[in-house]
Amino acid sequence: MTQNKLISIRFGIQEDMGCLIEWLQQPGVLQWFPLADTREIEDAARIWISNIKFNSVLTALWDGQPCGIATLYIQPFKKLAHQSLFAIIVDEKFRGKGVGARLLTDLEKLAKEQFQIELLHLEVYEGNPAIHLYQRLGFLQYGYQRHFIKQNDQYLGKIMMQKVL
Amino acid sequence: MIVPEDFDIRYSTLEDLPILQNWFADPLEREPFPFDTDIETEDVLKNWIGFARFKAALTGTLGEVPCAMGTLLLMPYRKVAHHGSFYLIVDPKHRQKGIGTSMVLNLLHLAKTRFSLESISVEIYEPNSILSILEKNRFQMFARQENFVKINGHGHARVLMERFFQ
Repeated sequence: MTQNKLISIRFGIQEDMGCLIEWLQQPGVLQWFPLADTREIEDAARIWISNIKFNSVLTALWDGQPCGIATLYIQPFKKLAHQSLFAIIVDEKFRGKGVGARLLTDLEKLAKEQFQIELLHLEVYEGNPAIHLYQRLGFLQYGYQRHFIKQNDQYLGKIMMQKVL
Repeated sequence: MIVPEDFDIRYSTLEDLPILQNWFADPLEREPFPFDTDIETEDVLKNWIGFARFKAALTGTLGEVPCAMGTLLLMPYRKVAHHGSFYLIVDPKHRQKGIGTSMVLNLLHLAKTRFSLESISVEIYEPNSILSILEKNRFQMFARQENFVKINGHGHARVLMERFFQ
């Protein structure tokens, strides 16, 4: 994909938390996250944004406006410091424009060059269209946990994917 | 294997923390866990014993002296609150006596009856002696990730196993 010149990337800042909360509350988004209500969304957003202290949060801007955020969850334990889980979200208004791919490409570079991450991994719920993006970027499935999510007595499995950097 | 006659299990209390800290003072005991440094260990053990407040942690005793501790790790969000995980340690002096198996069975019972959990998953790093206990108790592997943890500079796989109650 040709790099879209309207997209730029900067480190995440505290003020991005409002965007994160807004995007998590967009219709249909929460089905892909383990969060159920405002309290849980705010709690998860706080944890997500707290990684700005490590400079491991990237925010994508579309013509200067935040349109997506990706975060490396820097491991608190030394034995696990060579690998990292990450999370990503793109504002629904900017999907299908290459924002997710650009964020992930930059996040991978950040992980490898700044944090010496050797193994990047993610968790995604079955049916999430983002799985195709992860596959295209070279992530391979290493696990599957059935019944991970339970909502209205319906279950959804969790797919675990990774990429060796 | 038959556990010693004076073996019993009670809920853990916050006062059990020094015993837990004593067992983990030996760096070898930290190898099966993600924590390693003294600061990491202190933080995790405080969190571990904190589950005693919810009656989610168990202490095994021999003649009223603690010989094992385990805690359920409960999930913080509603959509995932139907499953959990656990940590377990047996005093190195009292291994190979069936205490680990008994603790696992009691943690499973606690998960099912008190917290109405539908499954329990466990994360272990290879090699780990608890693997045979888990396999005997119908845990099944659902993920294996090479080089997840580095112990003394060497990569080890993590294995994720789960037991459903129904």
